[in-house]
Amino acid sequence: MIRLVRSTIIDAPTDRVWAFLRDFNGHDQWHPAVAKSAIERGQSSDKIGCVRRFLLRDGSELRERLLTLSDLEQTFSYCLLETPVPLFNYVAHVRLAPVTDGDRTFWEWRCSFSTRRGEEAEMTRMVGEDIYDAGFAAVRARLVGQAPVEGRA
Amino acid sequence: MARVYVSSVINGKSDRVWARVRDFNGLPSWHPGIAESRIENGEPADKVGCVRDFRLRNGDRIRERLLGLSDFDLFCTYSILESPMGVENYVATLRFTPITDGDRTFAEWTAEFDCAPEREGELVSSIGGGVFQAGFDALKRQFGGEGR
Repeated sequence: MIRLVRSTIIDAPTDRVWAFLRDFNGHDQWHPAVAKSAIERGQSSDKIGCVRRFLLRDGSELRERLLTLSDLEQTFSYCLLETPVPLFNYVAHVRLAPVTDGDRTFWEWRCSFSTRRGEEAEMTRMVGEDIYDAGFAAVRARLVGQAPVEGRA
Repeated sequence: MARVYVSSVINGKSDRVWARVRDFNGLPSWHPGIAESRIENGEPADKVGCVRDFRLRNGDRIRERLLGLSDFDLFCTYSILESPMGVENYVATLRFTPITDGDRTFAEWTAEFDCAPEREGELVSSIGGGVFQAGFDALKRQFGGEGR
């Protein structure tokens, strides 16, 4: 079992970061790896157990199930159901916490998974850099230095 | 139940920050508000259940019991046994989490307590500002300024 954790500080209040992250069906709006997202069976994207289907920029598809979502703690977790890459038993947790000293956001993204022997380093790099670090950078680019816009993040 | 939550970013790796604050008897070495401290009954400072008896620079004396200490999750939880603050059921946790993007540390200090309703605002502000934020400000100075 591989455990991976990435974290960063975003120079924006947690509510504005959460507005990006909260919609389990909205990650195609900000994550550079995701081209399209849809929730299966017409369910609401904040219904625990709902499944999202991603079309990735490279043309492959994956499916993930929402396991937990908390507006109070500003956390959610999800697992992979189907994936084009060898990530098995993949469960991920995202949490935001306010940095009260400066009204910023601590954002942590962690997961555990297993993979085929010999692919541990590449899968760890791919998830840590292409998914998590790239997600941090994308949200930071959208939020930092921008004035809040009424009614949307 | 009153709650205090203060968090900050310290410009040093979490294991170094933890080494600085881990000693339950070590407040005078890093917190500017604390003049002296001792552990009662000659117990080790990392024995869960031990009691620290310390004196603030303003002369106030406080006794606190260590409730939890984790070198793995980098947190310390304690309760107040005796203080002039007028709080009851006071439990606080000081916790550090690595920020992997740069050698920085996310620091959180929380407390929950009961008090007279009319004193809640004043206590939340003096504990959050005068104790918790003052401690983080000292750590930020000791580790080279603001962690961005």
